[in-house]
Amino acid sequence: MSGYKMTVMLAWRNVWRNKRRSFLTFMTIAAGTALILFMRSLQNGGYAQMIEDSVAPRTGHIQVHEKGFWENMTLEYAFMDDNELFNKISSMKNVKGISKRISTGGLLTHRDSSAGCEILGIDPERERDIITMDRYVLPGGKFISPSDKNGIVLGRALARVLDAGVGDEVSLVSQGFDGSIAAKNFMVRGIFKSPNVQYNRTLGIISLDAAREVFSMMGHVTAYAIRASDIDSVAGLAARIRSVTDDTFEVMSWDRLNPEILQFIALDRASGHIFVMILYLIVAFGILNTIQMSVYERTREFGIMLSIGTGPERIFRMILTESFFVSAMGIALGMILGYGLSWYFTVYPMDFSEYESEMEMYQVSTLVYYAKIKISDFIRASVIVFLLAGVFSYFPARRASRLDPVTSMREL
Amino acid sequence: MGKGVRMKVIEIKNLHKTYQSNGQEVHALRGIDLDIESGEFSAIAGPSGSGKTTLLNVMGGIDRPDEGDVIISGQTMKGLSESELSKIRLNRIGFIFQAYNLIPVLSAVENVEYVMLLQGVEKHERREKALAMLRDVGLEKESHRRPAQLSGGQQQRVAVARAIVSGPEIVLADEPTANLDQKTGSSLLDLMKNLNHERGTTFLFSTHDPMVMDRAERLIRITDGRITL
Ligand SMILES: Nc1ncnc2c1ncn2[C@@H]1O[C@H](COP(=O)(O)OP(=O)(O)OP(=O)(O)O)[C@@H](O)[C@H]1O
Ligand SMILES: [Mg+2]
Repeated sequence: MSGYKMTVMLAWRNVWRNKRRSFLTFMTIAAGTALILFMRSLQNGGYAQMIEDSVAPRTGHIQVHEKGFWENMTLEYAFMDDNELFNKISSMKNVKGISKRISTGGLLTHRDSSAGCEILGIDPERERDIITMDRYVLPGGKFISPSDKNGIVLGRALARVLDAGVGDEVSLVSQGFDGSIAAKNFMVRGIFKSPNVQYNRTLGIISLDAAREVFSMMGHVTAYAIRASDIDSVAGLAARIRSVTDDTFEVMSWDRLNPEILQFIALDRASGHIFVMILYLIVAFGILNTIQMSVYERTREFGIMLSIGTGPERIFRMILTESFFVSAMGIALGMILGYGLSWYFTVYPMDFSEYESEMEMYQVSTLVYYAKIKISDFIRASVIVFLLAGVFSYFPARRASRLDPVTSMREL
Repeated sequence: MGKGVRMKVIEIKNLHKTYQSNGQEVHALRGIDLDIESGEFSAIAGPSGSGKTTLLNVMGGIDRPDEGDVIISGQTMKGLSESELSKIRLNRIGFIFQAYNLIPVLSAVENVEYVMLLQGVEKHERREKALAMLRDVGLEKESHRRPAQLSGGQQQRVAVARAIVSGPEIVLADEPTANLDQKTGSSLLDLMKNLNHERGTTFLFSTHDPMVMDRAERLIRITDGRITL
């Protein structure tokens, strides 16, 4: 046994000396670490879900429009449909789907009720790869078909305002691409309820062909909507699309199409940080408390050790090693618990569907929360807990190593 | 070192030590001169508070005097750094305290080995010497017990074994029998006396127990921080 081995052995045995206390500290660290990891996993999953809920039913990952369209949302900013460009983009790597869209504002009327709305003309066949709106059509209705020139699908809240149901006729009044008045009656084919509250309130979906006609588009569209194979490839894909479009176009990725999501995530992260910091503090004080107590109780013992010729640095290292053992075990258990807990919620998500109306009141539209485990969270948490353990043991350890043997042995 | 040849192990010159206690000065040592020769088996005796512990601590380099000097085998302790003092304590002096001498998480044999480990003695030799030493103090069978599983007398025997295992120039024992009953204390003294005879180990212990004083070959009386004879 070398000197170092002796230090490690002493530390290890000292950890088990006061089993109850070590166990409590160990559990504090484990529970704290597990909670931090679990919370992080829930956040990751929640954010991913929110992004998905906004991107999937509506915006897609990337949109190409003429500059100015996104701010104004009027047909003035429609562009000439360019099949060469369209095909070029659709053959790019990581493109899962691409489709043409026409969207603009309008007024819908049904009997005595009318409401401002957003009309979205889409190609249902192609959009199947991009948006999932057809999934949200409530029973009793159906999504529009490509050849349907008279059908419309309404968001549920919008339909309520209009007091319109499946089979009712609603009239649309808007302005066409050429400045003429666009007016047409549509038959309500279905009502959808998507996870995005705003869409449910404002959106009416018609077929691309119907939109072309009613708005007299003359070969123009307002957007190409693109879905990437996964969220992480969006940035690269957007850059590649930018390189093949001239500067009359703007290529926007989901984060710019849905800036409120990023804002919400940033806000939520910030409040999460506070909670996590409190947990870290609890863990840190758990460590400090144990080490301090155990050092205090052993004052006389350290006095003896110093008297018979133990170097102060050896005592210092021994106490740090004790703290290392307790935190390493706590972190290990915390990781296992945190992983298990997170994993459970990746398989069985938290489902708030029951509380839908309450959630809607708070503008929360994501109802099902999956956890998403990220290894980086685990690494970060364990490094932080280790650092905290180091810092919070440093001072008691230093004090013990600097004890004066004479005074410490007078204590009993 | 043969028994006949007597050399000064420790020379003490004009030791003074004052403590501050609640703003009051306590003169624990007021000018002590003392020589201890090798092979001595001596006791420092005096009432409580007379300065016995302070004297032993200063002699052993655990505490520093305000004035005066301690010379161990010709080497002064004056002006030594903490770590130099620590090395002297480790390599040249054996300590036995009144109680709770041992490291609780180490077994008897590990406690005896501990000092040798600090000295860098090789593993095999360490274990062998420690076991032999425990045999000499009559604790062969208890060598793997932790201090809590030993009686007070047995614990003190382990402390004796630890103090002398690496052949220190002197063993300083502060009231080694004070926490033991008469019989156990007496047999601990027998043990120390034997080691003194057989190995020539120099012992200096403090006591205020007349029975212990009787067994010493030399009695150094101390009252109020002064040697009174
Ligand atoms: N660290 C200290 N701080 C303050 N006063 C001290 C300190 N150490 C010793 N003293 C005082 O110095 C005097 C001598 O103490 P010391 O412990 O040397 O006596 P002692 O002879 O060993 O007594 P006892 O037989 O009770 O062990 C006492 O009055 C004691 O209160
Ligand atoms: Mg004393």
